[in-house]
Amino acid sequence: MRRITRPHMLGSALVALALGLTTACGTAGPGTEEDAAGVEVWVVEDATVNQVVQTAVEAYSESAGIEGELVTYANDAYKQRIQVALGSPEAPDVFFNWGGGNLAEYVNAKQVVDLTDALESNPEFRDAFLPSVLDVAKIDDRYYGVPMQGVLPVVLFYNKKIFDEVGVEPPTTYDELLKLVDTFKKEGITPIVLPGAQAWTELMWLEYLVDRVGGADVFQAIADGEEGAWKDPAVIKALEMCQELVERGAFGNNFSSLTSDNGSASTVLASGKGAMYLMGTWELSNQIENNPDFVADGHLGFTAFPALEDGEGDPKAIVGNPSNYFSVNADSAHIKESIDFLVQHMASEEYVEDLIEIGHVPAVAGIEDKLAETEHAEFTTFTYQLVSEAPTFTQSWDQAIPPAAAETMLTNLQMVFLGDMTPEEFAEAMEATQ
Amino acid sequence: MSTVTAPASAERTARAEARRPAGRPRPRSRKVSRPAYGAGLGAAVWLVLVLVPLYFLIATSLRGSGDYLTEGPLSIPETITLDAYRRAFEVGFLRFLTNSLIVAVGAIALVLVVALPAAFAIVRSKSRVVRIGFTLFLLGLAVPAQAVIIPIYLIITRLHLYDSLTAVILPTAAFALPVSIVVLTSSLRDVPGSLYEAMALDGANNFQTFWRLVLPLSRSGVVTVAIFVGLNAWNNFLFPLVLTQSSETRVLPLGLWEFQTQYGTDVPGLMAAVVLSALPVLALYLFGRRQLLGGLAAGAGK
Amino acid sequence: MTSATRVQRPGALWAAPALLFFGLFGLAPIVIVAGLSFTTWKGLGTPEWAGLANWQALPSDKLVGSGILITLSLTVLTWATQTPLALAFGAWAAGPQRVRAVVSTIFFLPLLLSTAAIALIWQALLDPNFGVPAQWAELTGLSANVLGDPDLALWAIVFVLLWQFLPFHMLLYQAAAKQIPASLYEAAEIDGAGPVQRFWRITVPQLRHTIIASSVLILVGSMTYFETVLLLTGGGPGTATRILPLHMYLKGFSAFEMGYASAIAVLLVVIGTGLSLLVVRVSGYSQMTSEREGAS
Repeated sequence: MRRITRPHMLGSALVALALGLTTACGTAGPGTEEDAAGVEVWVVEDATVNQVVQTAVEAYSESAGIEGELVTYANDAYKQRIQVALGSPEAPDVFFNWGGGNLAEYVNAKQVVDLTDALESNPEFRDAFLPSVLDVAKIDDRYYGVPMQGVLPVVLFYNKKIFDEVGVEPPTTYDELLKLVDTFKKEGITPIVLPGAQAWTELMWLEYLVDRVGGADVFQAIADGEEGAWKDPAVIKALEMCQELVERGAFGNNFSSLTSDNGSASTVLASGKGAMYLMGTWELSNQIENNPDFVADGHLGFTAFPALEDGEGDPKAIVGNPSNYFSVNADSAHIKESIDFLVQHMASEEYVEDLIEIGHVPAVAGIEDKLAETEHAEFTTFTYQLVSEAPTFTQSWDQAIPPAAAETMLTNLQMVFLGDMTPEEFAEAMEATQ
Repeated sequence: MSTVTAPASAERTARAEARRPAGRPRPRSRKVSRPAYGAGLGAAVWLVLVLVPLYFLIATSLRGSGDYLTEGPLSIPETITLDAYRRAFEVGFLRFLTNSLIVAVGAIALVLVVALPAAFAIVRSKSRVVRIGFTLFLLGLAVPAQAVIIPIYLIITRLHLYDSLTAVILPTAAFALPVSIVVLTSSLRDVPGSLYEAMALDGANNFQTFWRLVLPLSRSGVVTVAIFVGLNAWNNFLFPLVLTQSSETRVLPLGLWEFQTQYGTDVPGLMAAVVLSALPVLALYLFGRRQLLGGLAAGAGK
Repeated sequence: MTSATRVQRPGALWAAPALLFFGLFGLAPIVIVAGLSFTTWKGLGTPEWAGLANWQALPSDKLVGSGILITLSLTVLTWATQTPLALAFGAWAAGPQRVRAVVSTIFFLPLLLSTAAIALIWQALLDPNFGVPAQWAELTGLSANVLGDPDLALWAIVFVLLWQFLPFHMLLYQAAAKQIPASLYEAAEIDGAGPVQRFWRITVPQLRHTIIASSVLILVGSMTYFETVLLLTGGGPGTATRILPLHMYLKGFSAFEMGYASAIAVLLVVIGTGLSLLVVRVSGYSQMTSEREGAS
């Protein structure tokens, strides 16, 4: 449940739920006549992003002379709703998705339009996107979606004030990280904040460690459903490293009841009770909202996940949420118009500027100058460079693998962190889901 | 519970009467000391356990959104602000409240309209169908609603009711039916047959009997059922979670939860919404306290 | 009842609306869910026949066994905590003293809050860094890790459920205890019975019907604790509090294994029906007419 709320938190600025956009909500009835009239776009409720999308839909309606309609759904209802709607007459023309395994489910059910030809005939449009982000919508070498909002990689946040007081530097290697763990522990500070009540925060550690130990191919094999992929030595090694961190006291004693839902994890970092926090870049907006002074005083530090000296993975590789995607329903009566809408607007200057305006870092090439003018330029530029220089951008595993496997994975991972399950048992259990 | 004067106790009362010194007024029936010390101490402990979270709730709702985590959960708020309440209204609290009220009232009305005649039939009818039906209700007493949430979801979408308040009311009422029918039946089954016979002698038909005899006599049962169904509807989380999606149809419990996931950091705002959501129920309680106790005593004590 | 033949009796038609309604939203779904349990269905497209596959997978799913166990423990624990406390407080609150009336009104307050609200309050209160446990940990050195400790989390849920439902059951006992004739207590007092003896000899036996009614409600309600668990721990840490209804929900709406979830659902229906039978047997609800008919 909670894992799907995460992408939702991006830019969770204090905007009211009910913007004018929601007028289109609640069209649960037979919408066939309406469908015939225009392009219907389904998206998850997010006040800031939806405003940007709405502008684009309106612009398209005007220029193409065809009616466009944006329908928003509460985040948790959306996956259930789209799952059932696709293939029915109530389905939308363009729909929001998470790319990766989530999108692959729909592709395998033959419900998504192949966008490869559209991309190839519009090379400018294709090349506008950062390849590592666009590739997440690539299934069996064909493209089925285009990014519709900013990138959200996972980075290592830290409390600069605490680091200064203790007189240490942020870690660049895993060994340095381990040393910092010992140092902070001696100081009575929780070295790493981990809201372990939510397994997806623990997953971030596993994702990065597997990537650093064995490279991005290890998870790619898992995502591709290859036999034995979960039993890869890199997975076992990374799980062991997670358990070593727990035993070393890296996450303190209470991590398993700590949650990020009510903002306490963010405040543990800001208050100096904790020193480091591995989180998605949306954490910035959480901090701005919850601990404005902490951000304003420049105490929120950030850095890339440390390199592992003897690991096979590229230290520049990243994990997280590359983006969310728009795909076109294969049963749509307006496939051509829907594709036109995406091609004309998803990389347009207005759309990109609007996204930057609401604090996003769009997955579009060559926007350094624009980002430099934003309020949190240092952070957005850091994020942008991280993503553009990354050889691979591994999608959060819980989004990349089928939902049934993801559910088992999150449950079992929590057991691993609690010490109730061994890495081997974890691999065994996951292998059974392949 | 209403008829408990057994002969043995009457005798003891007589003895007690005899031994009471003359001249001292007979104590008013309720002024009897009851087991107090152990329970009294326990009650004091429980009082603290009830009050601490309630204090937390109200104190937090009066804090500034940034102060909540830094000041400590049980400290006295350094500055008091109604800001959190303003934010609660901004996210659509009033709409959530209205929706919840509609669902509660709708479910209560629906249950009573179908359950009262059914209870009448169960108590008075000789029909086999009724007997079998009653058995089905009894078997359904403890069947959890979650178990059938998938087919309910299917049925609701097929009926094109998805994302409407009706979608929540229908299954909520259906799953409250077994308990409601049991309560109503037990409040009716003590009505002596002679009353029905008297009605019949007056030439009353079934409908008149129902209207003039059954309805008035089942009042305590109706109160109990209304409370039970109302509380169920008020608390319902799963049906709205699965059967509705837009903010237009969001009910309070779901609204609170959304508040937490969407504005994760605003605990004071969340607590303000919780306080506000309790006010209508508090008003109802103060208004109907006597009714409630009477209804519970008569309806559930059997 | 000699003139019964002349009295018009209501026919099955009177029960028809209730039966039809319950049939559509209560019984039909059970039939459908039983059917779905023999299919593979991801929510996408149409269900595909899968034979006994889901049922064969059930025994090897450790979370089904542990889910049943945790569900039953939760039922027993809630009953065992709520019944004695509600009985004691209810009898106490039935006394005439003004202070008792005031205190019992305060006890009632949690009933004003919805399940979701209560779960969210306690989640905030039990926060390991900013909640009460953080403070008691400083004072006593006890663990502040409550909801995240597999051994404590279930007890925390039992406590929160007690907090939520005690007032209701207390009210039941209070209302019933007020109707116990005072003469019984007077007689016992004269016989030299102390408060404790009077409680055991008079209050408890006199309240036996209420004890049954309250226990029945606890048993029936125990299948609905789902929401508290979902919001408070999400079944965690790990799977320490994953009750069977929650397991079914996660399999259905998080993993989208609707067919398998339906098999678990059928299991839930069977357990629920068993519980209903137990309840009916204990309570005597199945009588359609009063055993005391004609007595008063």
